[in-house]
Amino acid sequence: METKDRELLLHFYEDMLRIRFFEEKVRDVLLPQRLFRGSSHLYIGQEAIAVGVTHALRDDDYVISTHRGHGHALAKGVDPYAMFSEIMGRTTGCCQGYGGSMHLADASRRFVGEDPVIGSNSPIAAGLALAVKQRGSDQVVANYFGEGAVNAGAFHEAANLAALWQLPVLFLCENNLYAISVPVEQSSAIQDLENRACSYGLAGRRVNGQDVMAVYNAAREAVAATRQQSRPSYLVFDTYRFEGHHTADKETYRPAEEAVEEFRARDPVHLLEKAMIDDHTVDIPTTIAYRDRVREEIDAAFDRAREAPWPAPEQALRFVYTESEVR
Amino acid sequence: MEKGRMRNLTMTAALNTALREEMRRDETVIVMGEDIGVYGGVYGVTIGLQREFGPDRVRDTPISEMAIAGMALGAALGGLRPVAEIMYCDFLAHAADAIVNNAAKWRYMSGGQYALPLVVRSPAGGGGGTAAQHSQSLEAWFTHIPGLKVVMPSVPRDARGLLKAAIRDDNPVVFIEHKHHYTYKGEVPAEEEIIPLGVADVKRAGTDLTVVSWSRHLTLCLEAAEILAAEGISLEVVDPRTLQPLDLATICQSVAKTGRLAVVHEAVLFGGFGGEIVAQVVQECWGDLKQPPLRIGAPFCPIPYSEPMESFVIPQVTTIVDRLRAYLA
Repeated sequence: METKDRELLLHFYEDMLRIRFFEEKVRDVLLPQRLFRGSSHLYIGQEAIAVGVTHALRDDDYVISTHRGHGHALAKGVDPYAMFSEIMGRTTGCCQGYGGSMHLADASRRFVGEDPVIGSNSPIAAGLALAVKQRGSDQVVANYFGEGAVNAGAFHEAANLAALWQLPVLFLCENNLYAISVPVEQSSAIQDLENRACSYGLAGRRVNGQDVMAVYNAAREAVAATRQQSRPSYLVFDTYRFEGHHTADKETYRPAEEAVEEFRARDPVHLLEKAMIDDHTVDIPTTIAYRDRVREEIDAAFDRAREAPWPAPEQALRFVYTESEVR
Repeated sequence: MEKGRMRNLTMTAALNTALREEMRRDETVIVMGEDIGVYGGVYGVTIGLQREFGPDRVRDTPISEMAIAGMALGAALGGLRPVAEIMYCDFLAHAADAIVNNAAKWRYMSGGQYALPLVVRSPAGGGGGTAAQHSQSLEAWFTHIPGLKVVMPSVPRDARGLLKAAIRDDNPVVFIEHKHHYTYKGEVPAEEEIIPLGVADVKRAGTDLTVVSWSRHLTLCLEAAEILAAEGISLEVVDPRTLQPLDLATICQSVAKTGRLAVVHEAVLFGGFGGEIVAQVVQECWGDLKQPPLRIGAPFCPIPYSEPMESFVIPQVTTIVDRLRAYLA
């Protein structure tokens, strides 16, 4: 294996571990200790998508995400300390405690934000892409959504307009098989969601979302086409939501016969690890060293965030409007 | 340009002037909506803009109100200053998710990381037989949402100056026009004028009663004031011009002078914005009030089609005159 490929794989590995350990901390520590309010939607099992896609993007490309966006944010370089702080409602959060788990945003990383209103983020992505195009920039806008969103009217309106106006949007559908409790077979008239793209004159492509290299390669081609030709691309990633819809989900809807083990055997982190070990990219001690290092990083970020200050209650009244009302 | 020179313009022309001036001044201003290009908008507000600024800055959209408003928000995040037109304010119901859930809150939820310089223009109101789905006055929906500004001009001068301020504002603004008021004419300064949002205007000075009204009904109140003046009744007519932010001080100043308040609007009375103004005035100027405030608005029913019924529901000048006369009797 060439050195640069090895480096790339190790970058993937590190970024996927960061998401995995972050989410495990939310699940195993923040949740039982009641360190956050509302709910958190975990990205465990889907890490290969955010990591593969983000490595195909430039730093100045935009990402607009969903309620299940911790992984998208971490992959885009948002600081885990700022994210833990935000989820725990502290002033050191990336949104100073105004948003929480479902509204993470970091303008400096071009992580425009999460939008947990299903379908609504696609028009925003298309509008951003319109601004990009109007400015003569060659940035692209990556728009993540779940398979539940493709049935929302706003998604259709945005996809049609992005294709009609040739806007640089990457429509990235993460098909994790469930929209909260309803399986995709019960929500979509067609199961091959990439075929939805035909109605906008786009070539949809279905990608194995558990294989980070497959995600990366597909995303790279899509990003290149979108950037060079200023037009949307449409990718559908097959994946699986390992956890409940959110942290309080009892998952009563999963059928007994669902081959959970089969899905779990396709854990993207394990798949990458195994592939790297099998072809001697790394040895086991190296993977352990990576795991230890990233886990320490996440532990340290969490420990710091846990001690971070709470906002003063009256801070609630800030940021409703800009201070300077007229330029 | 000669200083102090005035032009007599319709509301439509005044709004068109504002858009044209702001688009010339700032190339990040774009206009988007249904039938706004070659057609110039169903009420003609964007006439000629596509010819001057081209189809990239004056964009005809498909019938996709969710995308029009959502894309305006996205475009604002991306550095443009979009002005979206929603053909009828009734259709703001489609666009409301983008406006209410996203535009109004994106800055707040992000802890102040973003500014959202976008304007959503839309005509409201009845009076022309467009019936229940093309005649509503829905300003109260939007005044209830922190993060939005709500502007409702009544005369051409304000329409032009307020729209310019709205476009330059870094917050989302819902700019509500009146579809049966577009041909209303008035003086507009030839030179540039920006009218800041949140500053009320005393449209007629008087001593007996403060009448607060906005949009088309403000001008109906001016007509009523003229009629009542002949009977020796002196109305002070105050136009808040923007409902959010609301210039309560100017209203209270007037109430302190007259000792009486009436609020007149076209919208349904129950839950209408007049109730908010009355409540605030009662709290702030209780001691100044000589009698309980009066509210005039539409009864609790949709806007009917047939002319006699529609005129019954929407307060007319004669109704306003009769109610105010009785109130002061």
